[in-house]
Amino acid sequence: MQRDMKKTWIIGVLTLILGCISCSKYLDVVPDNIATLDNAFTMRSEAEKYLYTCYSYMPDDGNAVENPAILGGDEIWAIPESPAPYFNHTMLKIARGYQNANSPIGNSEWDNMYKALRDCNIFLEKIGSVPDLEETEKKQWIAEVKFLKAYYHFHLVRMYGPVPLIKKNLPIDVDIKDVKVSRAPVDSCFAYIKKLIDEAQGDLPATIDDPVKCLGRITKPIALSLKAKVMVTAASPLFNGNTEQSTLVNHDGTKLFNTTYNPAKWDSAVIACKKAIAVCESGGISLYHFIPTVVQKVTDTISVQMSLRNVFTERWNNEIIWANTQSQTNILQRIATPFVDERYLSNPNLVGELGAPLKIAEMFYTENGVPIEEDKTKAGTKWYTLRKAVDSEQLYIQKGFNTVELNYNREPRFYAYLAFDGGIWYGQGVYNDKAPGSLFCLHCKKGEANGKAILDRGITTGYYIKKYVHYQNVMGSGTSDYTITSYPWPIMRLADLYLLYAEALNEANAVPTAEVYNYVNRVRERAGLGTVQDSWAQFSTNPTKYTTKEGMRKIIHRERSIELAFEGQRFWDIRRWKEAPEEYQRAIEGYDIEQSVDVYFYRKKLIINQSFGQKDYFWPIKDSYILNNRNLVQNIGW
Amino acid sequence: MMHSPFLRGVLKWCIMIKLLWIVVVTSVLQVSAGTNLTYSQTARLNLKLNNVDLEQVIWSIKNQTEFNFFYSTEEVRNVKDLSVNMANVTAQEVLDQCLKGTNLTYEIVHKAVIIKENELQKATFLKEQEAMQQNSSVKGKVTDVTGQALPGVTITVVGTSRGVITDNDGSYKIDAKSTDKLVFSFIGMESQIVDVKNQKEINVKLKDKTEELEEFTAVAFGKQPKGSVIGSITTIDPGKLKVPSSNLTTAMAGSMAGVIAYQRSGEPGQDNADFFVRGITTFGTNTNPLILIDGIELTSTDLARLQPDDIASFSIMKDATATALYGARGANGVILVTTKQGKEGPAKISVRFENSVSAPTRNVDIADPVTYMKLNNEAVLTRNPLGMLPYSEEKIANTEAGMNSLVYPANDWRKMLFKDYTMNQRANLNISGGGDIARYYVAGSFSKDNGVLKVDNRNNFNNNIDLKNYSLRANVNINVSKTTELMVRLSGNFDDYTGPINGGAAMYRLVMQSNPVLFPAYYPTDETHNFVQHIMFGNYDKGQYVNPYAQMVKGYKDQSRSQMLAQFEIKQDLSFLTEGLSIRGMANVNRTSSFDVSRFYNPFWYSVDSYDRTTDKYVISQINTNGTEYLGYNEGTKYLQSTSYFEGTANYNRTFKDKHSVSGLLVFVARQSLLANAGDLQSSLPSRNTGISGRATYSYDNRYFSEFNFGYNGSERFSKENRFGFFPSAGLAWNISNEAFWKTLKPIISNLKLRYSYGLVGNDQIGSSSDRFFYLSNVNMNSTDRAATFGRDFGTTKNGVYISRYANNDITWETSTKQNFAMELTLKEKVNIIAEYFTEYRKNILMTRDAIPTTMGLSDVMKANVGEASGKGIDISMDYQQVWNKDFWTSARANFTYATSKYEVFDEPEYAERYRSRIGQSLQQNYGYIAERLFVDDAEAANCPKQEFGGTYGGGDIKYTDVNRDGKITEADKVPIGNPTIPEIVYGFGFSLGYKSFDLSAFFQGSANQSFWLTVTDNVLASGSTSTYQLNTSPFRNETQILQAYADSHWSEDNRNVYATWPRLSTTTIANNSQPSTWFMRNAAFLRFKQLEIGYTLPKRLRDKIHTSNLRVYVSGTNLLLFSGFKLWDVEMAGDGLGYPLQRVFNLGLNISFN
Repeated sequence: MQRDMKKTWIIGVLTLILGCISCSKYLDVVPDNIATLDNAFTMRSEAEKYLYTCYSYMPDDGNAVENPAILGGDEIWAIPESPAPYFNHTMLKIARGYQNANSPIGNSEWDNMYKALRDCNIFLEKIGSVPDLEETEKKQWIAEVKFLKAYYHFHLVRMYGPVPLIKKNLPIDVDIKDVKVSRAPVDSCFAYIKKLIDEAQGDLPATIDDPVKCLGRITKPIALSLKAKVMVTAASPLFNGNTEQSTLVNHDGTKLFNTTYNPAKWDSAVIACKKAIAVCESGGISLYHFIPTVVQKVTDTISVQMSLRNVFTERWNNEIIWANTQSQTNILQRIATPFVDERYLSNPNLVGELGAPLKIAEMFYTENGVPIEEDKTKAGTKWYTLRKAVDSEQLYIQKGFNTVELNYNREPRFYAYLAFDGGIWYGQGVYNDKAPGSLFCLHCKKGEANGKAILDRGITTGYYIKKYVHYQNVMGSGTSDYTITSYPWPIMRLADLYLLYAEALNEANAVPTAEVYNYVNRVRERAGLGTVQDSWAQFSTNPTKYTTKEGMRKIIHRERSIELAFEGQRFWDIRRWKEAPEEYQRAIEGYDIEQSVDVYFYRKKLIINQSFGQKDYFWPIKDSYILNNRNLVQNIGW
Repeated sequence: MMHSPFLRGVLKWCIMIKLLWIVVVTSVLQVSAGTNLTYSQTARLNLKLNNVDLEQVIWSIKNQTEFNFFYSTEEVRNVKDLSVNMANVTAQEVLDQCLKGTNLTYEIVHKAVIIKENELQKATFLKEQEAMQQNSSVKGKVTDVTGQALPGVTITVVGTSRGVITDNDGSYKIDAKSTDKLVFSFIGMESQIVDVKNQKEINVKLKDKTEELEEFTAVAFGKQPKGSVIGSITTIDPGKLKVPSSNLTTAMAGSMAGVIAYQRSGEPGQDNADFFVRGITTFGTNTNPLILIDGIELTSTDLARLQPDDIASFSIMKDATATALYGARGANGVILVTTKQGKEGPAKISVRFENSVSAPTRNVDIADPVTYMKLNNEAVLTRNPLGMLPYSEEKIANTEAGMNSLVYPANDWRKMLFKDYTMNQRANLNISGGGDIARYYVAGSFSKDNGVLKVDNRNNFNNNIDLKNYSLRANVNINVSKTTELMVRLSGNFDDYTGPINGGAAMYRLVMQSNPVLFPAYYPTDETHNFVQHIMFGNYDKGQYVNPYAQMVKGYKDQSRSQMLAQFEIKQDLSFLTEGLSIRGMANVNRTSSFDVSRFYNPFWYSVDSYDRTTDKYVISQINTNGTEYLGYNEGTKYLQSTSYFEGTANYNRTFKDKHSVSGLLVFVARQSLLANAGDLQSSLPSRNTGISGRATYSYDNRYFSEFNFGYNGSERFSKENRFGFFPSAGLAWNISNEAFWKTLKPIISNLKLRYSYGLVGNDQIGSSSDRFFYLSNVNMNSTDRAATFGRDFGTTKNGVYISRYANNDITWETSTKQNFAMELTLKEKVNIIAEYFTEYRKNILMTRDAIPTTMGLSDVMKANVGEASGKGIDISMDYQQVWNKDFWTSARANFTYATSKYEVFDEPEYAERYRSRIGQSLQQNYGYIAERLFVDDAEAANCPKQEFGGTYGGGDIKYTDVNRDGKITEADKVPIGNPTIPEIVYGFGFSLGYKSFDLSAFFQGSANQSFWLTVTDNVLASGSTSTYQLNTSPFRNETQILQAYADSHWSEDNRNVYATWPRLSTTTIANNSQPSTWFMRNAAFLRFKQLEIGYTLPKRLRDKIHTSNLRVYVSGTNLLLFSGFKLWDVEMAGDGLGYPLQRVFNLGLNISFN
């Protein structure tokens, strides 16, 4: 008995000690089917999620917080410092000159684009292993992701100039030395982008078969339009023979900018534009004209304005080539909408903060289709003197309203895109323009509905951006009573492509061809203006301006800036043209919004003097990125 | 004291258990006991004394051995003129020689030597005197050593079944012959046998069973004799942790050598102090020490709720030898607490009541409402001369003139929200006792802590903080057989909390963030609103402002936390297999849960529409429509955790040839914990640890000691190849004072010991809990962050794939190499000093690979075990005790901890400026700009190096130094500024003295080498798993009030003080001024009079009258005085100064024990 007990105890002790041999099993707590990356490519429905993942990085263009081209330039202004801003005004800091390399404004784009490129590459590496994916669909998906890869690179090049190209992913455990990549010369960047689009375009559909479900996916017209834009960008002065950037050199001596102008780049741009236009037009894309759906037929005046407003805000109108479904425009519309209906002053969703500086208001043509400074019929007009609106102007300005000359006799785009003190606001529930007195009209002096009231919202310059606001949005009094018809941010529309084509063609030839005028005139016609030739010949103080390449270049640039105003184009265009230093010379001004009497209100008031230096052409690379990758060279001036 | 039926019940229960176990267990386990070689036979000593008295002989024996002596000083001093010259003898041999021919004899019980009068001789004498006289009955009284009557003592006549039991006053009467022997026995006391002889009255004093006379120190998985410990272990007398607080952790700062501790908040329930063993030497996730309560890993909240009365021992294990057995868990040190166990004896009852009054140590001074308005106007104008003034001259003038306070309110929100003081109560009861077979310790406690918030009587609910804590503990030890002991511990701890919806600290913050002049807290019901049922709270404009009063009284939150713990432990002595072997098994389970529920209404806001100054009539109207008169409801987070643990040990302990002591220990542990709402799949998987560890010690002759430990531990966190880690350590010690050559020094330096240890310990909690499995990638296959939308009306949205972690098989333990040098010194048996120097080197610290550029496009940062850091420091503790005479005693204690750390290897960019590198800097070093002064004017600002923080700045804004002289102030100009953010030095000192029935003790505590910053941005500081929200002190931003200190000293155009406390005012955040810089840096060093206690113990005479064995009343105070250069708030709160203030507590307590 005693001996047995002892044995039992010995066995007990041994079991205890040997117990740990099974420890290893005890620690296997992780079940086999934990999700790993491979699970994403085991079947079509999962792989489709990865396709969506690649799309999810699309820059949020319609968001003033994210897109530098809305508030980062000289086109739109907002309240710089406010205790409780409705939205983050970071981008406005770029416009105010606070860009820095320490913590660059908008730096997240760099991070996001490189993350996006890694995911795109993962997709391209692994999509081949999905068993239940049909060949044609697989090809289309690959083409879409290749296109996105191209677009993401292009987005980086526009911001940073030459950037490291991510053609393939580096493995996670790669040697630290290999991850220290260098910037590729701009020509290589454009060449790689072009190559990707060329590879993709053949497998892309001409139109979306299932618009209800798939609108927003990449099509062949989108790919070719982007290519056109890429080629025009590559041929533009900023990237074509830019000697100012000649000192931007990698540590190994690689020059990142070409310094000799190559006119042939314009030739290939022309070809790309022409091809894109052809494919777009054959896909049913044409210039948009308003067809009233709400009530009875509207007046021609309003009809033209509605064509110009709705070409941007009407979802999937026939002019849209590419609209970004990852960027809907609810908040943008809120921060653009003033108290149109003056009954609803307590509606907190009507922020109405975005404003156009006076120089942008001046940029629009006169009713004669020529710049205000060139219009010989207006010679001697003092644009900032007041006069009362006459009856015939009551579709533009409230009857009997006293306002500045600048607001009278302007082209339809002025009235379609901008709203101002005394200006008529069509829509928002009131559609009967046969009774102009019933239409909404803004009142913006201090103490009035849309005048300066609260610190952190409301009027900034005196001009509101009507273009962003869909005319059928419904406003009410409550906190949530602003029903917004959102639209995907249009990245590319046919007018843009036409103007790119005209620009490239003008640059490619010694003198403007008929084709150049033709494409500009198509855009002008929809805007209710006469042809370039007629308008200049009849009304301009410089009637032969359009006949020279240089003159026509100016006309095209101005036309583009007006037509595509507030669409996030001007920011990039004036850099691309290297016209930014000149444009920034002109101060940001508004009316004296602290005033309640018209004579004082309509005094020009300086908001800020902007400046544009060499360094401002490109974003600074964040200092810390250069610290941990010494192969990255900083952009000039930062 | 067996009056109460309850106590009798407890006793009966014990006896029942005893019988039950005898029946059940003895039939199962027929285990025989082995023979023990007792200490008295093994301890050898050398004596060479001439012409001394017996007391001196006893002292010499005591110094060389571990014997404790019990004797009457008078009796032993009478034995004089002894000369002893003996070598290598046992104590018995010495005593035999010394006591020969005296009337004294001795008895050795384990390590206790009791010297007493020789009863035998007396008896013989008496026998001769009164020979052959026969007694028919004997009576007498049985008492304990203190003279307390013992009822219920069994008296039996040896060899018969005759017996009686003493009655309530301890007296008995029994029939006995003069040749009979009487046995007096009682639970928990030494039985006595008395020869009746011819005595008629026999009064007997029974002594408590003496146990563990030797001092033991709790070590990992066991205990060791104090003298043989090599590792660095601080043991604290649990009595020193008694502070008038329901939170044990608040007593830690300055009372333990080697612990860095500080307290940031005084809010009941949120007032845990932060504490670190020997500072922080890792920049990984887990910096907290391992907390073990009765061997179970628990949290600091569990430690906070522990009752000092229930603690038997409290030790801090600091070096590798002490913690190596915990292997992968011990790198940050271990706090080991054991709770009391029952001792044999009659039920001992101890009760403690405390009532305390607490009030903030210091309130932050806020500028008055008129100043607020004036300065707010200034803030607008100084930045924008054309700006709109928020307050009109008329409003300011009328407010100042004290016009109608509803129309021109001037609120002191703090007075409206908070009381000046609050009362807290605590009660604690414990009962212990037991018999041969079973012993018990049962304790219960209750505490109620109230906040200082006011309550609006119009609500019928209480929105003040009311934290009730209940705890119950039952520890039962059962001797299943002579060699088998079973322990069952059950404990439960429950918090019931009611308080404001967002907690007390949030209310303090709201006071700071609320406009004082726009509206009153509420309007009285006026004629037009007399139908209104609700409180008419004030607000302004559209009701978007914060009315802190409404926020406070609009509802309340119920919160509950409970923890249940059950533990089963069995010990088996295996001496029958081989001498000195025993095994032990322990298992426990633990469930912790908590939840909260809020109930609240939406306030109705009112504001003044019009006011007629001539009639002083005002009209108010409701401005919001979403108010409710009924309560809404919101369920908060629920937390549920279950933990189970098993531990088995085999222990061997033997001394050979009297001098060679050998011990060995082998431990197997397995631990698992599960979370109910972990949040994602990977976090939901059980956390497990397992491993074996062991210890071997060898000591020679109580002079030389050596120890080897190892831990071989596995954690589920790592890939198979890296799952197990081996952590060895070794230590040596030399007790110089036990050397023969020390003999002459012994009376002065009675103890001198040197210790050294070296070894490795690990830390497996290297990443956050959501980042446990580094060897697995973590892919969210359904991520909304990666969703895309298509379709004409945005109809198709699919979520995408988000990689939140890339797999890395190489991630493994963080390891720490620790060295410890220590000296223990005792001077004249009165002063004990332990001084230790330690170094530590951490490797494999998990850190983000900074070297991976963003162009890699990784959606998660890459981490690797590349970081290294080191730490070093000293800790010293000292105590002193002196008994001057029977009425007067004194004691003093002091300790000091200095712990510093630095980065050794840190993955960082190759900075052009050397000062930017973290290498060589403290782990808690802050970086920032050097602020020179404020700019004199805009022109100066424009002509100085550009300060690139993205925002305008000018005169009155902070001017920074261009350290690298590149003409602009950028990230590259940030240098290490100030001291670390946790104190490097923590110290405490205090004294106690007693005179007759009175005692007094005082304790001071301080810390140094710490910096903090006035918070000037919205700051959420995360440290470990907790994050604290520090309120931005920038005035006027979102209605934030202005501190009086800022109002008094700021740059203004009239007073261009370039060294003012606050820069030029602004209503928005000025990026230039909210950079981390030396401008807002402050020294956090302080010394505080932490504790004063005065007690009165009722003298024995009076205690006897009311049948108590101890009765003490005391008053105490905590946080009485604070010495610091920083005056805005209690400096210990550092950057959290606008939170719930630390409390000054005055306390009245009563402690009664019954035997």
